[in-house]
Amino acid sequence: MGVVGINMRNARYLLPNNPRWLYDLVDNKLRTKDLAVEHHLAIPETYGVVRSPHDTARMDRLIGDRDSFVIKPARGSGGKGVLVIVAREGKYFLKPSGVKLTLDEIRHHCSNILAGLFSLGGRRDVAQIEYRVHPARVLTEISFQGAPDIRVVMLHGYPVMAMLRAATRESDGRANLHQGAIGIGIDLATGKTIRAIHHGHPIQLHPDLKVPVVGIQLPHWDAILDIAVTCHEMTGLGYLGVDVMIDEALGPLMIEVNARPGLAIQLANGVGLLRRLEPAVERCKSHPHDTHQQKLDFSRKTFAAK
Amino acid sequence: MASRIKLFLVVFILTAIGGGIAAYKHVNLGLPLRAGELPEQWLVDAKITFIAPPEGGKVSARLSLPAAAVEEGLGQEAGSVGYNYYVEKDQGEYTSIWASEKQAGNQAIYYRLSFSPRRKSGGEPLQHAGGGLPVAVNPGFSGATEAAAKRVIQRAKSVSADPDSLFVGLFGEINAIDASQEVALLRKRYEEEAGDRSAITILGIDLLNLAGVPARVAYGLRLEEARGSQQPLRLVEYYDGAYWKVRAPDEPSSTLDPDKFFVWNRGGGALFEINGDAEASQLGFTVIRTFIPIRDLTDLRDSPLIVSTIFGLPASEQAVFRFVVLIPLGAFVVVVLRNLVGIATLGTFMPVLLALALLEMPLKSGLIMFSVIVGAGLWFRFLLARLNLLVVPRVAACVVIVTLLMMILSVVSYKLGMRDGLQITLFPMIILAWTIERMSLIWEEEGKRSALMQVGGSLIVAIIAFAFMSIPQVKYWAFYFPELLLVLLALIILIGRYTGYRLSELFRFRDFKEA
Repeated sequence: MGVVGINMRNARYLLPNNPRWLYDLVDNKLRTKDLAVEHHLAIPETYGVVRSPHDTARMDRLIGDRDSFVIKPARGSGGKGVLVIVAREGKYFLKPSGVKLTLDEIRHHCSNILAGLFSLGGRRDVAQIEYRVHPARVLTEISFQGAPDIRVVMLHGYPVMAMLRAATRESDGRANLHQGAIGIGIDLATGKTIRAIHHGHPIQLHPDLKVPVVGIQLPHWDAILDIAVTCHEMTGLGYLGVDVMIDEALGPLMIEVNARPGLAIQLANGVGLLRRLEPAVERCKSHPHDTHQQKLDFSRKTFAAK
Repeated sequence: MASRIKLFLVVFILTAIGGGIAAYKHVNLGLPLRAGELPEQWLVDAKITFIAPPEGGKVSARLSLPAAAVEEGLGQEAGSVGYNYYVEKDQGEYTSIWASEKQAGNQAIYYRLSFSPRRKSGGEPLQHAGGGLPVAVNPGFSGATEAAAKRVIQRAKSVSADPDSLFVGLFGEINAIDASQEVALLRKRYEEEAGDRSAITILGIDLLNLAGVPARVAYGLRLEEARGSQQPLRLVEYYDGAYWKVRAPDEPSSTLDPDKFFVWNRGGGALFEINGDAEASQLGFTVIRTFIPIRDLTDLRDSPLIVSTIFGLPASEQAVFRFVVLIPLGAFVVVVLRNLVGIATLGTFMPVLLALALLEMPLKSGLIMFSVIVGAGLWFRFLLARLNLLVVPRVAACVVIVTLLMMILSVVSYKLGMRDGLQITLFPMIILAWTIERMSLIWEEEGKRSALMQVGGSLIVAIIAFAFMSIPQVKYWAFYFPELLLVLLALIILIGRYTGYRLSELFRFRDFKEA
């Protein structure tokens, strides 16, 4: 079937291609952002960084009078500890689900982040406050709350597979497939959605919104793939996943790079990863000096949906 | 490909070394491969420690020996560097003597005895040795205590016919929890003097003597495997008119059970003695079960295998190793269940620690206590969540709550008559607190299903590791053939390079159909 399991992913693709010392580049989102700025990638604007308990006291100044923002742990993983504020109502801050938070509750969330509650291995962390992406219309139409993101998995800089993750009522605004979000496979050549799964089973319509999720053309597809390949170049990681969101006004923004991308993407696409990874390895051996554009062309041509 | 050859080479070399040493031990030294082929042995280690003067000086140590050790030729061995050693015989009593001209600082002297389970405890009736009849020694009571002692004896004598029943009656009375006024007075006096639980033994001996039954103290030990060493057990030896008999003060009505007791010294002499300017002298016994008689052990130790020197360690340290060698086995189980089966657990090696704790208590009550503590801890953790505490104080608060829960659970189960409850302290507490903390986080982040799955997974892994570690054959190999751990290492390395599916992935990808 060509399906890649965790053991194979780790032993064949992660360990040989991702040297340990590169991990911090992507595990620390502040460093990733610095890199992205150097490489002229579009990223959500950082409003401020909360580095110490003292900073939590002046949170209100960092937030200013912004209506919406996102607070994230710099070393978080799997979307843990991400707090999204979409609006304000008097002295309350509103989450996408409509829950109201006071400034004190937001401060407490920040001090949890600082203490390392959401970071890998529980090490001390910093919280960043950044621009909340306003997803493009075409994406909000197929997601129950939450902002859908696009994941592109790459080996040696060749995009091998991509998927769109959209929230459902069950996943509560989150994009994790095992929590009930839907995974939508994307044709690498065109950026059109080709297949969708919910809890491992193929679907055509969004389970809550009842709108078709297959056959949708994603905007800015060229730019998205371009961002992905640039992420490989700037981090040096051989095997990685790049998360991108499409902002209505700003276009595609790079959200984060993941050095241990999961395996659900092959379920969403209905294709075993091995079928994509092996040609990428061959190509890398036969054409070790492929340029940025050649890599893109190769992937789009070779991995086009039939 | 080259790395593959290297891998197989490493695996092959490890297996060859481990298997080779094991084979050598089996073929040349005659250590059986299967557990239970040799009869079980008790190994008793007596360890005398004392501090010799720092500038050095003449010291000698005497340890009274069980007569059986010499007369029946039980396996025995004495060890200490820089001492002259010999055994002295005097009127049927044996004493081993270590003497040295110049010793300074901390000293440790070992005497080791091994024997197969016996039909005699060493406390059997014995004729008086010295010739003539033994005489009761007046213990020298006076004043109020004398009156009290006489009254106690009177009461005991009124319901007894001979020294045996007097012994039972006296010890029955002074052991009683709701003691009479006289006994309470006497017990208090003796406790003030002796300062510990041996007071009752001494009091009983004095009362017997006052009643005209010659009695003296004897020393023995309990044949049970315990962590750490045990203090010499004080027994009572009394003369019933024809023979000297030994009984335990807390079980006055029964003779000594040779499966449970071993009498080390009788005759009323001192158990051990240090002469010279020594301080802080102490004697402790360590009792362990073993399969190898001391004689074979000596062969093993003289063989050129460094790994077998584990048997050269004193029994107390060996007892520690019994647990240490099991940890790699637990780690191996975790590797198999995580990388081949794909069970999700809370924390990688938490199940191993849990399994080690379970080894020390009945499985069922261990699991119940674990669930109760984690369940109740989780509930408190959710209460704490409302206070918006910072992370480290919150985990510390969890530790406090877990401690209190443990105490309450122990007390409750003890009151209910379940002694297993007392073993709850064997659970690694910090691990429990972190388990609760992580579980509550997963509960909030990923829902209760995921949290319960992971805790359940940890429990299943712990139970399997526990079951694996308690197979006698596995334990036997781990302890007597520790070189087989190299083979285990080879296996773990092989699994480390396994790139196939995990069992759980077969389930996860079961519906996968290529588009």
